[in-house]
Amino acid sequence: MSAATRNHQIALIMVLLAACLAFRSAGTSAHHSFAAEFDIRRPVELRGTVTKVELINPHSWIHLEVADKDGNKEIWMIEGGSPNQLLRKGFTRNSLPVGTEIVAVGYQARDGGKRAVGRTLKLANGQTLFFESTTTPAPEASH
Amino acid sequence: MSRPARVGLGAIVIGILALSAPLEAASPYRAPRTSWGDPLIQGVYTNNTNVPFERPPELGTKEVYTEAEYESRRNAPAVVETTTVVTDVHYQTSDFGLDPSQSVMVWNPRTSILDRPANGRMPPLRAEAQQRSDAARAAQQAHAFDSAQNRPLQERCLIWAHEGPPLRPVGYNSLVQIMQTRDYVVLMTEMIHDARVIPLSKTRPEFGELKRWQGNSWGRWEGETLVIETTGISDKVTPRGSSVPMGPEGKVIEKITPTGPNSIRYEFTVTDPSLWDEPWGGQFPMEISSDPLLEYACHEGNYGLPNTLRGAREDERAGGNRQ
Amino acid sequence: MTVLRTGSMYHKLLRTSVGTLVCIVLMSGAMLAAAASPRTASGKPDLSGIWQVLNEANWNLEPHVAAQGAVETLGAIGAVAPGIGVVKSGRIPYLPAALSQRNSNFLQRRTADPEAKCFMPGVPRATYLPYPFQIVQSDTDIMIVYQFAGAVRTIAMSNHKEAPADSWMGWSNGRWERNTLVVEVTGLNANWLDRSGNFATETRRVTERYTLMDANHISYEATIEDPAVFSEPWTMQMVLYRRMEPGARLMDFRCVEFAEELMYGDLRKQEGK
Repeated sequence: MSAATRNHQIALIMVLLAACLAFRSAGTSAHHSFAAEFDIRRPVELRGTVTKVELINPHSWIHLEVADKDGNKEIWMIEGGSPNQLLRKGFTRNSLPVGTEIVAVGYQARDGGKRAVGRTLKLANGQTLFFESTTTPAPEASH
Repeated sequence: MSRPARVGLGAIVIGILALSAPLEAASPYRAPRTSWGDPLIQGVYTNNTNVPFERPPELGTKEVYTEAEYESRRNAPAVVETTTVVTDVHYQTSDFGLDPSQSVMVWNPRTSILDRPANGRMPPLRAEAQQRSDAARAAQQAHAFDSAQNRPLQERCLIWAHEGPPLRPVGYNSLVQIMQTRDYVVLMTEMIHDARVIPLSKTRPEFGELKRWQGNSWGRWEGETLVIETTGISDKVTPRGSSVPMGPEGKVIEKITPTGPNSIRYEFTVTDPSLWDEPWGGQFPMEISSDPLLEYACHEGNYGLPNTLRGAREDERAGGNRQ
Repeated sequence: MTVLRTGSMYHKLLRTSVGTLVCIVLMSGAMLAAAASPRTASGKPDLSGIWQVLNEANWNLEPHVAAQGAVETLGAIGAVAPGIGVVKSGRIPYLPAALSQRNSNFLQRRTADPEAKCFMPGVPRATYLPYPFQIVQSDTDIMIVYQFAGAVRTIAMSNHKEAPADSWMGWSNGRWERNTLVVEVTGLNANWLDRSGNFATETRRVTERYTLMDANHISYEATIEDPAVFSEPWTMQMVLYRRMEPGARLMDFRCVEFAEELMYGDLRKQEGK
């Protein structure tokens, strides 16, 4: 196997396998209907600093202090995945320290509350928060 | 018995063993023993797998990929999601290491976990059961967001489908812990921390009439295999493929056999004459995990459920029509 | 008939009888001792079985008289049963600010007690809930399965690691000190310790001690250290009783179902909307 092929494989090791796609839909995200909780018609892009990280199940939550248009600070809660794999890979609650600046792109809660699902989560420098994600582009933000 | 007869009989026996043994060699693995003499199966296992639960229909009755096919599947480059239209209101599992490919996978060349029926796919419900199931599903969907109690069991953090019995792999955190004592075997899945405490007995204990969410189970060792029988699964749960619960003769048989120092084979059969005309079942391997099983406390952090209900109430206030 | 020579024959008979009697007594003693402390193959006390407390610690760890419960309409059924207390030093040594928190908890107990919400009770409260639990002691590690909320924890008896994160049932590392199982529990979420608002935070460290008193009783002690709440570590002590009835087993107590109205009832769809 050439180095190029091996690199190709390693680069893709974090992305979804075609063979797994059908399998994935059967069990992966079946905890609850995100479409019922969040609104696809309300895309958001939130840039702020971490005030709290809840490494809990069934979903982790990152609390962000975000400045609105007038500079007023408000706290948003960003919903993510189960942290158990992160913890097994050595992440701790200190891996994302309070005060870290992050950008969360996702969709706002249906009831208009300051909550969103984090479709992509990145550090201010553009690096993904925990793992390299798929290359699905972010939605157009209206916030 | 004369010598030729014994040889003939021996050949037949070996033939039968070869036909029935799944993928391993003819001589079964003999596991080390616990201090009281049972085969040792204790440990934390992963059953994260590449194998789908049901077989792709085009494969028909093909149970196992050939060596060449298996190798090419293992080495196939992954397909990157390149859609520019985002239709999924969901965090990306791979951001949190939750994609199956990001965890140790117990690769094997089976085409599906199900091996009965022969086409590796769930048998249809009996016509009468299908009618009841359709009616139940319609009734559930008509009030799907009315209250917490109308949401699926999974969303309420009461029980998740993969916990079984029978067990099956789940998209992430697919770990199972087995504990053994002389009198009990405990099977516990990480999600959602339900521990099935299974008494070991030579004959079926008297369970009485009460049902349990995961049924009344008892186990016994048959040689190297732990056989677990479960009946009395509660009406509160519904089996795969059905929106109505199992009937009074519903039964699940599970078999756990050590296959190597760090692996076991898990087999299952589900029978219920009120739902299906034939039993269905399958198998998958599990391997010892080097990672610990971590607490997955579902209900305690279940903000999603009240948030979902708030969303539904807001939709109603705004005059929207929730599907 | 041979006439017994009473002298030497009598003494020989007496010696034999006494000797036999002594033997029987010693053997019985040995057998009783063996029954008194069942042991595993490795010679450790075997704590396996189904156990439950017979006290009122879950109502209130401290000594307390009978009192009205949080829900008056339940009458005597919902009343607080009196208890002589399980705190060795009598009272829990709260820091002043923490004592105010405890008193405030008490006033909100009907809705704020995590037990009412079917939250996993943590350690040590899981031990003294008025429900059975099962100790599963294998050749290596020990698992404890609690009937309430299906709470469960594994006690690692070797290869001890630090808690990777906080959890409801904590991270348990155990060892034997002669005939006592000593378990150090860390990484526990903040939680209540009883129905009266006694509580501890995520900085607490709990040390449990399980000692078989005889085949059917365990002496249980738990020392709680939490500098955020208590001025010094303090210890509770109680007896665990084996559930003896034939067919004794844990049953399902998935209490989430019974907490949903309390927690989410206000989000129910109103009629006519």
